[in-house]
Amino acid sequence: MLTDFLQLTAAGLSQGSVYALLAVGLISVYTVRHVINIAQGDFAMMAGLGAVWLISAGMPLFVSIVAAVLTVTLVSVAIERLIIARVKKLTTLVSIILTLGVSTLLQAILLLVWGPEARGLPVFPGSDLTIAGVSIRAQELWMVGALVFVGGGIVFFYEKTRFGKALRACAEQPVAARIVGISPVMASVLAFAIAGFVGAIAGVVSSPIYLSIWSGGLLLGLKGFVAAVLGGFSSFRAAIVGALLLGVLESYVAGYVASGLRDAVAFFILILVLVIRTDGLVLKPTAVRV
Amino acid sequence: MKQSRIRFIAPLAVVTALVLVGCSTSNLGGSTDSDPTGAAETGPIKIGAVLDITGGGANLGVPQQNTLTMLAAALNENGGIDGREVELTIVDNQSTEDGAAKAATKLIESDDVDLILGASRTGPSLAMRSIAEAAEIPMISLAANAAIITDSKWVFKTPQNDVVVLETILDDAESKGYKKLALVRDASGFGEGVADYITDLGADRGITLEMTESFELTATDFTPQMTNVRASDADAVIIWGINPAAGLAQKAYGQLAVDKPVYQSHGVASPAFFEAAGDAADGVIIPNGRLLIASELDAADPQRKVIDAFEADYSAAYGTPASSFAGYAYDAWNIAVNALAEAGTDSEALRDAIEGTTDLVGVSGVYNMTADDHSGLDASSLILAEAQGGVWSLYKD
Repeated sequence: MLTDFLQLTAAGLSQGSVYALLAVGLISVYTVRHVINIAQGDFAMMAGLGAVWLISAGMPLFVSIVAAVLTVTLVSVAIERLIIARVKKLTTLVSIILTLGVSTLLQAILLLVWGPEARGLPVFPGSDLTIAGVSIRAQELWMVGALVFVGGGIVFFYEKTRFGKALRACAEQPVAARIVGISPVMASVLAFAIAGFVGAIAGVVSSPIYLSIWSGGLLLGLKGFVAAVLGGFSSFRAAIVGALLLGVLESYVAGYVASGLRDAVAFFILILVLVIRTDGLVLKPTAVRV
Repeated sequence: MKQSRIRFIAPLAVVTALVLVGCSTSNLGGSTDSDPTGAAETGPIKIGAVLDITGGGANLGVPQQNTLTMLAAALNENGGIDGREVELTIVDNQSTEDGAAKAATKLIESDDVDLILGASRTGPSLAMRSIAEAAEIPMISLAANAAIITDSKWVFKTPQNDVVVLETILDDAESKGYKKLALVRDASGFGEGVADYITDLGADRGITLEMTESFELTATDFTPQMTNVRASDADAVIIWGINPAAGLAQKAYGQLAVDKPVYQSHGVASPAFFEAAGDAADGVIIPNGRLLIASELDAADPQRKVIDAFEADYSAAYGTPASSFAGYAYDAWNIAVNALAEAGTDSEALRDAIEGTTDLVGVSGVYNMTADDHSGLDASSLILAEAQGGVWSLYKD
């Protein structure tokens, strides 16, 4: 009984790590540009499918992954330069409609280039563990590890470094930021680069277990979106906690209630948050949302 | 602050609305032509195919699309049927039931097809069945569940019935002395009714069904289901689904060290199973048609020649080996072409000709359709295959 519970928890935490990475990407863009990027999940699928393709072309695993992640980072920057930056009056609402269009475009490209079938990367090096009857897959450790190092690194950058704080200042006071020498263009490019990078990392670490498919980005991105909402779209920490909670809850619902209800969990939470507590898990909601 | 909250809620509400809209594709679109029986005995023969080309059934629909495209081109190159050209229209149902129903309606009403092939999976096929029956157009499904053809007049299918497949599995389970089985099944049409069949068929063999878990077609995490299977006292497990889901289920099964023997269905007989399951595939037993182990067949086996020719054509055209799903499309095409050559495009005559198919040697088996059996294959068309090192081989006890 306890073993089963822990098993479900372990699976939920690794799945939650992927949601958390996507939430970090969403918040990093939102705090700088007040843009909600619906295409966040598509970055993950693009990186996964791209890496699979590079491997099939004969490249080694890690070379493929690095190349795919860098490419997706550049794609994200290109989207910012060519589409997002061109819009004169960019409200959050417009950004949702705009990035939904971008997401549809990316999915169409993925479908045309790599076809309709799901593909997975080979598992990363490492051996599976069994602790007290609970099996933990090496790939799950990679997923959690990616959250700790990549996600953690970006949170540290935004919250602790001067440069990171300056980036977030651009959203609140673009004119003042420019006066003190912070370029809003630079800030926006960097925010999108970060979003593309974490999205791509989430895509490649999860691909060996959950596979990559052209149409998978929207649902995955929305799970990250729900986690970001739990973080009030401002707190990285609350969003990460929310993402892990979401992953674990999904796992319990699938294990103890019915597997068909798994995907309903996120939307149920979303409705709860919208109705009851728009600040999500943020403990000090009076803090300025920059 | 109050205002900023409202500003914040509005976009969230929009996203939620967009998602809901995205989840339910609208069902508009009417028909302009409502004369389904106006099939003249001259001019091109129109065949419509509804396949699961994108979405959860892509692994089935894509090779079937390849197969039909290849066969239609070859047929027309050789002069068509009785000098009439064959027009093949393939429509993607996006692996959804409503997509299949819409596609079938459009093919019958606007394109005026003489015969429909598809869909690739049970759910979409069931959605098309009533449309074909109402319009009195012959339909040959490429999906497994016997419910597609039970008591049907106009609907036929080429894969082995799920009951026949389960019988083969349960016979083997009985011979090994397994008493309790666990079932992990696809939550869509393909898995529907499987638990009941196992309970019924198991009763004669002293086998009981201990537990049933299910999974969605697009599921990727199977830890919850496999954790429950691991905790059960079943002697063996049946995983019933299609790739990639069933392959991922097998992988989770291996990684959670469940350590009970596994049977899977004929739904996993493609290379994608090994891609998804990896080493965890080793030792899995499936009942399937002979295509899977064609190289081990006796040269005198009547199917050997047919399978070898199909394999050679398919891999020459597409560079990958043909899967069993491609085989179902191949057989459906040949049944259709034979019947069209014999009876022409009159719906009633065409239907009778399909029902009269006898001793047609196909890739999946030797077809003998009757009024009571619109699938035409019995257990003799199945062999047991075992997965080992990324290939299937004939299973020997």
